[in-house]
Amino acid sequence: MNHTFTLPNSGHNFDAKASKLGMWLFLYTELLLFGGLFLVYMVYRYLNQEAFLEASYELNVWMGGINTVILLTSSMTIAMSITALQKGDKKLSVTLQWITIAAALAFLVIKYFEWGAKFEHGLFPGMEHYNSLPVGERLYYYLYFFMTGLHALHVIVGGVFIMVVIKKVENGSVNQKRYSLLENSGLYWHLVDLIWIYLFPLFYLIH
Amino acid sequence: MDNTNHQEHISSYAELFGTWAALILLTFLTVFISVFGGDLHTLTVAMALFIASVKAAVVGFYFMHLKYDKKMYRLMMTVVLSLFTFFLFMVILDYLTR
Repeated sequence: MNHTFTLPNSGHNFDAKASKLGMWLFLYTELLLFGGLFLVYMVYRYLNQEAFLEASYELNVWMGGINTVILLTSSMTIAMSITALQKGDKKLSVTLQWITIAAALAFLVIKYFEWGAKFEHGLFPGMEHYNSLPVGERLYYYLYFFMTGLHALHVIVGGVFIMVVIKKVENGSVNQKRYSLLENSGLYWHLVDLIWIYLFPLFYLIH
Repeated sequence: MDNTNHQEHISSYAELFGTWAALILLTFLTVFISVFGGDLHTLTVAMALFIASVKAAVVGFYFMHLKYDKKMYRLMMTVVLSLFTFFLFMVILDYLTR
């Protein structure tokens, strides 16, 4: 006998509510991941107040500020792309998603120049100048590289996620009636924005 | 099982743009306070964190659609934030009482 196992609605395993709930659950763990890092930051900052202040002057407020504006704008475009798809405007939705990806790239390019300047000054953990700094400043740069690095990784993942969604919108598997994946990529992207909203003042604006 | 999205509320372009404008304004405000209010010290840090939290709430409610989605997401967010606040409280209790 030929036993085939079929799910009640084979081939149509689409559950908008479950999919969104799953995404949110993941985002909650992400919040706690970065939350833990913020606690580490808080404790070391409390123990090395002067050094943290001193080290924070090394960062460029304008570059950080421009990146904040870029991320906020990209958050708006991805939110608008959901609206566009919900209204049935596939073309506009895809365009808005490409703008979001362009913003992600712009963010990373600025970050590259920022990190590059730090490398030139020998501030990356392990470099000669870094090793000669007082403990507090070393902790600051260590946390700066780790937290903005982990955030940048999220920017890359978010960008790739949105690119996958673009493909699926174009081939029609994500559409006006089924846009959960787009919505979830949007939620992820907003989380990236949300974390930067805290990283920016804590590293760039504390003086 | 639900085979399609049933969306009761679609965010309008105008609302999303307004949200963006508010966020940009708050960013300028926080940068302004930091750059020109450097001698206020603790107050600037408190202000920066306060403005960041307002911005985070705006992103959550409007961009992440929490305002219009089912109550459950907001409820779960409250649980996560309470958990984090508890961690925060315990850490502060530890370090500030040494």
